[in-house]
Amino acid sequence: MNDKPRYNYQKEIDNLRSRFGLDFVSVALVQPAEDRFVLTWQFVSGNINNRYKRIALQSGKGIAGVVFKTGKPLLMKNVNMDIGAKDLFNYPIIVAERLQSLGALPLWSYNRVMGVLLFGFRQENALTEALFHLIQEEIGPEFGSLYAKERVIE
Amino acid sequence: MIPLTGDSLTLLLGKMYENSIEAIFFIDRDGKVLAMNPAAENILDTDVIERMYRNEENSLCQSCQGYMSEQEAISCCNCYLVSPKEDFSSFQVYLKTRNQGIVPYAASYHLIDETSGTRIFMLLNLTKQFQTQEKLYQSKMLKYIIKAQEDERKRISRELHDSVAQELLSSLVDLRVIKYMNVNEDVLRKIQQTEISITRLLDDIRHLSVELRPASLDDLGLEAAFRSHFKGIEKNYGVLIDFSAELSAARYSNEIETVVYRVCQEAVLNALKYADTDQVYVKLFEQNGYLQLIVRDEGVGFILDSGEVKGTGLGLYGMRERSELVNGQLTLTSDIGKGTTIQLYIPLAEVRIEEEALQ
Repeated sequence: MNDKPRYNYQKEIDNLRSRFGLDFVSVALVQPAEDRFVLTWQFVSGNINNRYKRIALQSGKGIAGVVFKTGKPLLMKNVNMDIGAKDLFNYPIIVAERLQSLGALPLWSYNRVMGVLLFGFRQENALTEALFHLIQEEIGPEFGSLYAKERVIE
Repeated sequence: MIPLTGDSLTLLLGKMYENSIEAIFFIDRDGKVLAMNPAAENILDTDVIERMYRNEENSLCQSCQGYMSEQEAISCCNCYLVSPKEDFSSFQVYLKTRNQGIVPYAASYHLIDETSGTRIFMLLNLTKQFQTQEKLYQSKMLKYIIKAQEDERKRISRELHDSVAQELLSSLVDLRVIKYMNVNEDVLRKIQQTEISITRLLDDIRHLSVELRPASLDDLGLEAAFRSHFKGIEKNYGVLIDFSAELSAARYSNEIETVVYRVCQEAVLNALKYADTDQVYVKLFEQNGYLQLIVRDEGVGFILDSGEVKGTGLGLYGMRERSELVNGQLTLTSDIGKGTTIQLYIPLAEVRIEEEALQ
């Protein structure tokens, strides 16, 4: 499915993290047919453990799952307010990386969500709306072989 | 045994009147209380007792809230005091008691002296019996509910697995066939995307089916069901489950397997919700005629009986109730900073004997 040469996502997310002082940045990508097209966190920057490697997401579940299914950007300024302790275990990446404030963007290819970009802080309310939009702009329309905005077919 | 007469009979009757836990009233033909024993004085309000000593009429009515008739749960219609002709040899009455509110009593009201018209009114507290009854009823209901839920889950799970998923799979095969037919690139891409969606959908449905009730539990037994369940947990929550089983593919009754599976499922879910750890140890083995399950984590732990409930508090209750279904015993130990361990013991011999008896 990748038409363009393999893109250096690692470098890109490392840059993103240092530029905005983010605690954690990660990219989840849809896996090839051999892996039944599951969505897994492929590249991480700023992780505190390797738990992300075990997580395979079902669509509609977890952060990546929700963004994948809805195709809409997601902003959680304060995880404790937006999710609540009882439901938190359904968001393994938030638990594993102890994120408190985060944003997620769908990454597109041929009008299908093929990946999810996640970034966040381990501090409540650190990701403001303004910063969220700034990061969205910084990423621009293209991110790797994917694009960060849904394109309308003419 | 010798027939009692004279003094010894009086003595015994006197003792019974003084010390019986049954409340005894003697009531004259007009419904006035002639005498009552200490047990009766204990349950009535002091001002009601005073009225009785002042020989006020209907003084018992101050306490009595009514009795259970065929028409009503609590009724004053055809009161036993007013129309003693009806059969009041055994009935249920509600009294307002000192400090304990309205309490149900098993009562008996009958004539003991025809010439003077004196009657005896005896009361026995039913609260405890009612509680026992209620508990029995509750646990019976719960058993039905759990069984109904399991059956329904099994039905939906089978349906999803056998018909919905199969149907989808054949569509998927069709789609793959189209890819090798003579189609242009745009169509091919669209087909590829559809293939991805359907594969994903198929997986979702399979997960759903397994989540409801794994077919492997019925077909292959506990060990197989657990292995696939833990694999799913690992993928969904990123938590490692260290599972060791020493059952050598032994099978148990459907009821036992369901209980063990559900209790373990709940225990593991609790661990990954509240223990703040990414490793859970599960051990399943048979020892001394007991099937044992141990679910242990080295997480944050909690104080038992602290009254502070993190979740709904129903999970633990449900686990206990489920274990009781198969006469199992559930123990829970937890230490702050050291983690939590849940152990389930299920006696195997007893159940086998019971089952044989049933057959």
